Amino acid sequence: MQISFELNGSMRRARVEPHERLIDLLRDVLGETGTKEGCGEGECGACTVLVEGRAVNSCLFPAPEVEGLRVVTIEGLCGEGLQLSPVQAAFLEGGATQCGFCTPGMVVSTVALLGENPAPSASDIRNALTGNLCRCTGYVQIVEAIQSAAAKLSAGGEA
Amino acid sequence: MTCIAYHRPTSLGAALELAAENPDARFIAGGTDLLVKLRKRVHASPAALISLRRIDELARVEVGECLRIGAAVPLADLAVNEHVRERLPALTDALATFGSRQIRNVATLGGNLGNASPGSDAAPPLLVHDARLELRSTSGVREIPLAEFFRGPGETALGAGEIVTAILVDGPSEGAVSVFFRKSRVSMDIAIASVAVLLEVDGTRCTKARVAAGAVAPTPLRLEAAEAALEGTALDEAACAAAVASVDAAIAPISDVRAEEWYRRHVTAVLLRRALMRLAGSTAAVPTGGGGVS
Repeated sequence: MQISFELNGSMRRARVEPHERLIDLLRDVLGETGTKEGCGEGECGACTVLVEGRAVNSCLFPAPEVEGLRVVTIEGLCGEGLQLSPVQAAFLEGGATQCGFCTPGMVVSTVALLGENPAPSASDIRNALTGNLCRCTGYVQIVEAIQSAAAKLSAGGEA
Repeated sequence: MTCIAYHRPTSLGAALELAAENPDARFIAGGTDLLVKLRKRVHASPAALISLRRIDELARVEVGECLRIGAAVPLADLAVNEHVRERLPALTDALATFGSRQIRNVATLGGNLGNASPGSDAAPPLLVHDARLELRSTSGVREIPLAEFFRGPGETALGAGEIVTAILVDGPSEGAVSVFFRKSRVSMDIAIASVAVLLEVDGTRCTKARVAAGAVAPTPLRLEAAEAALEGTALDEAACAAAVASVDAAIAPISDVRAEEWYRRHVTAVLLRRALMRLAGSTAAVPTGGGGVS
């Protein structure tokens, strides 16, 4: 079936199979490989993208369902010339990334969180990231990086 | 998983017609249980999927004689709905820790209840609020108490081509309070045990008690012996102890990768005691509900 939807600000058209998942559409059809598949079961959150501003597991989101909707992936967060967004920069500076596999999902979930709660506590952050698993960092630097990014954004700027 | 077709009807009638015409089709709302099961081949690939995401009448919360929750409202929306928060404190507790944000942004009560996991977090709170389900097919509409809906692990009273269209809860009584507690290994894990309690108090006497447990039997279930131990009492230590003591004989937990049977028995009793302690302090005046712990 033919679908069209908005991806990172641009209208895209694609042919999808009825059983395809959004993650398949993004990675295999459209070549946007920033979104990762860690489990395929909606547990790890590495596949997190924003659909209509809401964080969802793209491994469980049927591709046909994205017709007419706005999707933002990790690729959509960079600025001109691949300039890192404040959240991405904070992860990098804060040592919140080791192997990097969970990072796109973590960053996208963080953007969703900060959109709702610009000054989250450490507890708010951990709650919001329940669906994003990291096997490398132990989460401490991730929480600190998010708090650092939140502080910078409060001082002015966009996520 | 392969399937021949993905339908996106925009009316309930069209969705039910599609189901009647395609007996091998499956309904899908959030898909967070169904797609996992299809990938793991728990079910055979359906010939078609019938999406319920674009049907307005399934996505509304309405307050009239009773609270009517559309079966396809995303759980994240229910969690912030003022009517749900005011009338169903135990469900609000459960929604705060349900799955993850990503799951709650698409998952639904219709899907969770229809999936009929013994460990459903939505079921115990709805059971203590005496929820009813509205079921529809092309043959018509019927209501069933939630307590009669679950038939076994993954099995419900749904007939062919039938779906849950709404969850119905009668208006709250004055002085009703409810709470939900769960225990799991980590935040995002199916519960090892969960307990919901609702109490109505008139003066110093408990006039109504509802107790339900999840993850400790083939289905979510009411603990009627605990209810009987509480109703008509002053919710004193003796009554609470009797209720807690009744739990062991009423549940049938299994040992699995998450926990052993003895631990689940122990935890269920602890959760009931904590729920009673939490509510005992709130029964004096206006219903306040309580929080959840994982």
